[in-house]
Amino acid sequence: MRSTVTSSARSLSRRRLVAGTAASGAALSLPLSSGSAAAAYDAYLPPVRPYDGTPLADTATRHMANRFGYGYTPALGAEMRSAGGPMNWFDQQLSPGAIADSFADGFDGWFPTMFTSAATHAARAENTSGYAYDVVADHGRWSLLRRTYSRRQVHEVMTEFWANHLHVHCGADLTWFWRHDYDALVRRHALGRFDEMLQAAITHPTMLVYLDGDLSQVVRRSTPLGTQVIEKINENLGRELLELHTVGRGAVYTEADVRDSAYLLTGWTVDRDGTWEGSYDPQRHYTGPVRVLGFSADNKLLDGRAVLRDYLNYLARHPATAQRIARKLAVRFVSDTPSYGLVADLARVFQESGTDISATIQALVRHPEFAASAGKKVRTPTEDVAATLRVLGVQIHKPSADQDAGNAIYYQSKNTGQIPFGWEFPDGFPDTAGAWSSGARMMGSFQLHASTAGGYWPKTGVTYRLGAAWLPQRRIRFDALVDHLCRVLHGRGSTSLLLGAACLAVDQSPADIITRDHVLTNYRMPRLIGLLLDAPQHLTR
Amino acid sequence: MTANETCSCPDYSRSRRSFLRNAAAVSAGAVATTMFGDAFRQASYGVTNGNVMVVLSLRGGADGLSIVVPYGDPAYYAARPTIAVPPTSLLVRDTMFGLHPGFAPLESMWKAGKFAAVHATGLPQPNRSHFSAIEEIEDADLGSAARTGWINRLIGLDTERSPLEAAAMGSALLPTSMYGPQPTLATESIDDISLAGGEDPEAKRRRRSALTQLWHDGGGPLGVGARSALKTTAKLAPTLAQGYLVANGANYPDGDLGDAMRDTARLVKAQVGAEIVAIDYGGWDMHSHLGTLASTGLPSMNGMVTNLGKALAAFFTDLGALGSRVTVVTLTEFGRRVKENGAHGLDHGWANATLVLGGGVNGGRYYGRWPGLAYDTLVDGDLKVTTDYRSVLSEILTRRLNVSTSRVFPSFTPEAVGVMA
Repeated sequence: MRSTVTSSARSLSRRRLVAGTAASGAALSLPLSSGSAAAAYDAYLPPVRPYDGTPLADTATRHMANRFGYGYTPALGAEMRSAGGPMNWFDQQLSPGAIADSFADGFDGWFPTMFTSAATHAARAENTSGYAYDVVADHGRWSLLRRTYSRRQVHEVMTEFWANHLHVHCGADLTWFWRHDYDALVRRHALGRFDEMLQAAITHPTMLVYLDGDLSQVVRRSTPLGTQVIEKINENLGRELLELHTVGRGAVYTEADVRDSAYLLTGWTVDRDGTWEGSYDPQRHYTGPVRVLGFSADNKLLDGRAVLRDYLNYLARHPATAQRIARKLAVRFVSDTPSYGLVADLARVFQESGTDISATIQALVRHPEFAASAGKKVRTPTEDVAATLRVLGVQIHKPSADQDAGNAIYYQSKNTGQIPFGWEFPDGFPDTAGAWSSGARMMGSFQLHASTAGGYWPKTGVTYRLGAAWLPQRRIRFDALVDHLCRVLHGRGSTSLLLGAACLAVDQSPADIITRDHVLTNYRMPRLIGLLLDAPQHLTR
Repeated sequence: MTANETCSCPDYSRSRRSFLRNAAAVSAGAVATTMFGDAFRQASYGVTNGNVMVVLSLRGGADGLSIVVPYGDPAYYAARPTIAVPPTSLLVRDTMFGLHPGFAPLESMWKAGKFAAVHATGLPQPNRSHFSAIEEIEDADLGSAARTGWINRLIGLDTERSPLEAAAMGSALLPTSMYGPQPTLATESIDDISLAGGEDPEAKRRRRSALTQLWHDGGGPLGVGARSALKTTAKLAPTLAQGYLVANGANYPDGDLGDAMRDTARLVKAQVGAEIVAIDYGGWDMHSHLGTLASTGLPSMNGMVTNLGKALAAFFTDLGALGSRVTVVTLTEFGRRVKENGAHGLDHGWANATLVLGGGVNGGRYYGRWPGLAYDTLVDGDLKVTTDYRSVLSEILTRRLNVSTSRVFPSFTPEAVGVMA
């Protein structure tokens, strides 16, 4: 059954259809070749018809939900309203333990490889083909599900931020033994203090193994002439600690500094032959004077833990570290090109508060540059997955088969071009628009939106909102329906460009009346919703 | 140090072999294909000479001594009592080397002078960690703060920055060699280079029109990406619509490598401007039970080499005359220890062997300076590298793609290898 299409709209959509036909047949006649030709494009721009039955979020609410949450939904908007506004909501979110989160807590019971000791992982890996893959994938799934469904959105956002700052690549040799343990560490400190997080992370077994810290040591041998000390120093962790985790290359440190940084870390090791536990072995610690930037110590004791503690505190509180962390926060939560003023303000709060993370991000959200930056960031593929599931109201159930949605969420991310913790370098995922805007990424996102909007895949372990469930009333004009859908999916109203594209996509004119029995409702709704998710309004945050 | 200490991955079973390269890519196997750079270059930018370089990464650290066997070096058989490849089984022997018998389907290419090997290749300094060795091989610009891959820098040499990107088949995740500012494209298979949204032709046309309207202008980097996706899919659509029949009776082996090589042949034949294709073929991290010629399963050396030989032979058979434009080179992060370990496997080592096949190859012989396997010539038990892998790549890039390699491999001066005409 098809409704009547007005003749003018028909001719308009025909014109577009012809252009589309030519495009798919011969590439060079595409109407959007690069450069100046783009300006000549003749867009179909029918007037918008607001659907006021669906309330619009104010910009501040939507912006907060998209920056310190994994995507605005009307439900989150209501939560912010009842908290007394987005700023109050944000402050409440800084005490995640006070926020009931029973559904997301349930994910702890969904994945059997989780909450397992390194030694048990090691033993199971001996006998189970593909076990390492399962461990990494399960942790990725659990993380993606928490990001998507947890009510502690700020905690999830900040956990992702810090895990990426203190990045351990999920595919790196052996580090997956501690995947979840390390995540718990990051979570514990994600809204706390950076200096404490740094102390815990740098000497964690997974970091030691990842950057060869546990292999870096001195060997002491007794000889008739006294103790012989043989240096077997690996500089990897000592270097990345400076370059990536703290002061950065902006602080001018020398190769001698790197060497001394590695010396300071010696002693921490991991039992690779049995328990896989981390421990401190004073016999492996290098003794003797060390100097890194403005830090120096005589470092005389075999037990170098106190000296290392001082060194890490020095680095955490170094002005260059404050600058780097401030800039990274600003790039994550404000824009790819934050002002020097914003970075300086945040660096000052970070330093003066003794590396207090909550204090720093409270200053960030209250900075005028934050409010002015809505929509300026590109969603990463994993953020796209979370936001897509959120705005579509997809309900995921405990998975039992590999292709069930609770498991497939990992494949959805991978297919869109990113897996959690999957960046292969120790510097963590990049966080700028350019890094996440390749043609492949766009194809991946388009695919994600199409399959999820239609409930085509994953098909099991999931409940979708489909067809007539998207109609706000029994009969509605197409242009009003598009506006309603934009309010639900984008948190703001439609535009002529979106409405025109929607008309082209599903062969409707703006005035068409859509009912429960309409072909659009029953067959073309996925195409319409998928298209709205393909728009800049959904792909930016 | 014991063998275990130098190796950052004590044998953690078969699971680790397939696990190595980004944990995600391996659910169905360990192959990922990547093509990029000037793939799908528009005709108007047609400055390429039509040559194609295929970089086949043997992920996990393939044992060069099993692939190009130094049967003439007495230390080889002494070091490997249970896993050495017998001299009589070897192909195309000279006085020192012979090829693993799994390369039998490529023997005619060798004899026709289109297939050569370079021995004792690798990184200038030993690096026995999978992770950092991969990073080092693929970044190939040590000491630089910029974490970009050599292939990305290669693409960047081009002054004509095509907005069109490349594809990576086998995985939607980019390999390290491609990281960087230049646009690249990764996809599970060539058939996935599409705009999604179902098969109905009218729906597809409408979807394209609608997306074109949404993204026709502006949008910042996302807009560039969207337009690139629209253009790339349109350009490949005719090729994909035709389906693909292999030519000349080529017989690709079942599995991801065969699929990836077939997709690559299809792309080359489509002549849409692909210049470089990268393929990952993982599973070479054989710490235990490397096997003998009697082992036929894929996790064994014999199984892996046999599969490789079949896939490469099918690829060149399928390409026919176009094969003269295509040069395949193998890379791997490191070689293996000379002496087999207690588990009939091999721990991580240093030098390796590089295979070069196809267009422009001075084939039919073994290249490189053989450092020998005698104990006092080894470095911590490993074969010494005498040819930097970048010298081999430089020769191919220079002779086949007409590029200067000084910016691809900064502060590296390649030496002549002779493997390319």
